Amino acid sequence: MRLLLCALVLSAAAIGQIDEAAILEGAGDDWLTYSGDYASLRHSSLDQINRENVGSLVTKWVYHVPGARRLETTPLVYDGVMYLTNTNELHALDAGTGRRIWTYVAEAPRRAQNRGAALWGDAVFFLAADCHLVKLDRLTGALIWTREFASYEEGYYTSLAPLIVKGQVLVGTAGGGTGQRGFVAALSTDTGEELWRFWTVPAEGEPGSETWGGFPSKWGGAPTWTTGSYDPELNLIYWPTGNPWPDFYGGRRRGDNLYSNSVLALDADTGEMKWYFQFTPHDTHDWDANEQLVLVDREYNGEMRKLMLHADRNGFYYLLDRETGEYLQATRFVERLDWATGIDESGRPIEVPGLEPTPAGVKVCPSVRGATNWMSPSINPEIGLLYVVTLEMCDIYTGSAKEPVPSSGFRGGGSQQIPSEPGQFYLRALDSLSGEIRWEYKMTGPATMWAGTVSTAGGLVFTGDDDGALVALDARTGEALWHFSMGNTLYASPMTFTADGKQYVTIATANDVFTFGLFSD
Amino acid sequence: MFGSESGYNAHAVRLGILTALTGVVCFAADYTPAAVEAGKAQFLDACAACHGTNGEGGFGPSLVDGREVRRADDEQLFKSIQQGVSGADMPPFSFPDEQIWNLVGFVRSLSAPAVESNVDGDAAAGEALFFGAGGCVGCHRIRGRGGLLGPDLSVIGSSRRIDQILEALLDPNARITAGFAAATLDGNVRAVVKNHTNFSAQVLDSSGRLHLLRGDELERLRFEGESWMPRDVATRLEDHLVRDLVAFLSRQAAR
Repeated sequence: MRLLLCALVLSAAAIGQIDEAAILEGAGDDWLTYSGDYASLRHSSLDQINRENVGSLVTKWVYHVPGARRLETTPLVYDGVMYLTNTNELHALDAGTGRRIWTYVAEAPRRAQNRGAALWGDAVFFLAADCHLVKLDRLTGALIWTREFASYEEGYYTSLAPLIVKGQVLVGTAGGGTGQRGFVAALSTDTGEELWRFWTVPAEGEPGSETWGGFPSKWGGAPTWTTGSYDPELNLIYWPTGNPWPDFYGGRRRGDNLYSNSVLALDADTGEMKWYFQFTPHDTHDWDANEQLVLVDREYNGEMRKLMLHADRNGFYYLLDRETGEYLQATRFVERLDWATGIDESGRPIEVPGLEPTPAGVKVCPSVRGATNWMSPSINPEIGLLYVVTLEMCDIYTGSAKEPVPSSGFRGGGSQQIPSEPGQFYLRALDSLSGEIRWEYKMTGPATMWAGTVSTAGGLVFTGDDDGALVALDARTGEALWHFSMGNTLYASPMTFTADGKQYVTIATANDVFTFGLFSD
Repeated sequence: MFGSESGYNAHAVRLGILTALTGVVCFAADYTPAAVEAGKAQFLDACAACHGTNGEGGFGPSLVDGREVRRADDEQLFKSIQQGVSGADMPPFSFPDEQIWNLVGFVRSLSAPAVESNVDGDAAAGEALFFGAGGCVGCHRIRGRGGLLGPDLSVIGSSRRIDQILEALLDPNARITAGFAAATLDGNVRAVVKNHTNFSAQVLDSSGRLHLLRGDELERLRFEGESWMPRDVATRLEDHLVRDLVAFLSRQAAR
């Protein structure tokens, strides 16, 4: 009878509509947007799986994605249906059984990975690698329309999960490594029509263009390849940007290179920039600031503040006032950090001279992969800890003063690993206000993974680890309570949801999607 | 009855006639018909054992659904034949280059999309038929407009050959698209089974409700053994209307 009731409830609910109010409820039974909610908390209110019973988690189902080589998807779940992506593909599954309901394959070049889809109304959206927004009927996978928002032929491609705000699909691009000028664009969920666009590199003569030393804006880079956050009360969208081009040589783009390696606060209706904050001015180490932007309201120095938390690839953990963009503080969260001695009162790094990449090579920490990267952090708001996957590693950086050739693959240099100093991954729990490391979980493995985290009200934080396992840790202490080795490299972040009234945890490996539930269920 | 042997033969003949009438071009544009024919003969000798005589696969993968073949350029296909496929059971073939190019031409023709064919019909009349008197839109959907019980046809012109479209029209149960097996739910609700095992089923009914069935719930489901596609299209529509419809459908291409 229980099964019958579940089936009836699902079928009745399946005709519901997904709107802003539903997404604002946050991650619980459903997981409706890339980071679980608009604030990018990646914290679920589910507690069926908790510290007491997590030891009895077992594999419930595995879904193989044919041809996949590097799944980076965070699945979405609505009303018992899971939506996950591979490059140019969207798969809809019965979330309780892992059985496929439909698959849509876009005929597009297999250029990039894909990190996920977006739900709105009765549709599901995702981005084909060649910068086409695809709108599908959520139930059937039937194509409604596709809209091109950037030219693949000009070197643009895309990999991110779109964010839907106020009936607008917010999209961004990759391609910064070959110079393509980044932007955030809002496309209508109804028609795909472009409603506004904000370029991340100012055009010649616009404010900020003076920070490029005459370098052409068209090839400034500053791509927008990860998913932003949204504050409906402030009506602001927050979007992070990547490095300026050429990545490793800055001699032809003297200045801070706005708005690369920054967070942009954009009016949600118009795209007008309200403020920006640049984490790494004049970057020459490929330290994109595309890491997630976590929005919380907390008391700070005796005053309630609307905060933005950001652990940056450059090795510093930042607190900003997200209403004004005011810099509040920054602390280092890795040991291997030598490019700056700290951050000054204005938020600008105090750089150590002589660490720009050279033709002969110079050792700099963190490595090109960063102290962290796009692997998702999560926060437990009750405990106040931010969980950040962290890489302790340095690289040898080389730079080239050759004339840059856009769209050629030229990056002005590169980096190489130091064989005697292999990288070391940790999951670190940062006090979200002070930045102090409260505990850390040291991983084993070859330092090749890109997996992130999810936090739950069950007092747990789940992380992918560097040896291909999903690990459940006590959110307060970091004690490892459960693990399961999936035997493959992880490039995705876990999430959690309910189907048939039961909580599950899902993570994608390179080519399979694993889902776990309690043995007793 | 359509399903009877005599009926099937009659429609198969008509399918052949219509194929001729529509002026189908089922070979790749860059290869001459003679080259494609030569490639076909060689395919039957050397490739059919694994890929099937019609290229639909068997021991080896299907070359008809288009994805693998269209993702590869001609040089890559040539190299796959000449050198084999590393990590798979595809062996190298030491044919002269010209013969391999003929094979490439034939393999390309196996997935030549309808949109590249020259269909002799009135697409506008076909569109009117699709969305009007033909009743197709009751089950099929194009660009968000239409029903649920048949496959989405938004990109049918770029994903199917012309003869595959014709077969689906005139002999709809010859092969049923995955996820569109007809079933009746609770004795009276028309539905399609998107997927099923002995333990669960994922069923979409005609009103757009998704039923995720478990265990004993499967008893609510009765499989009809065919699709919901009417079996009388061939007798209901005159040849010129079929041509119009195919002309319209063949233009439904990606992007």
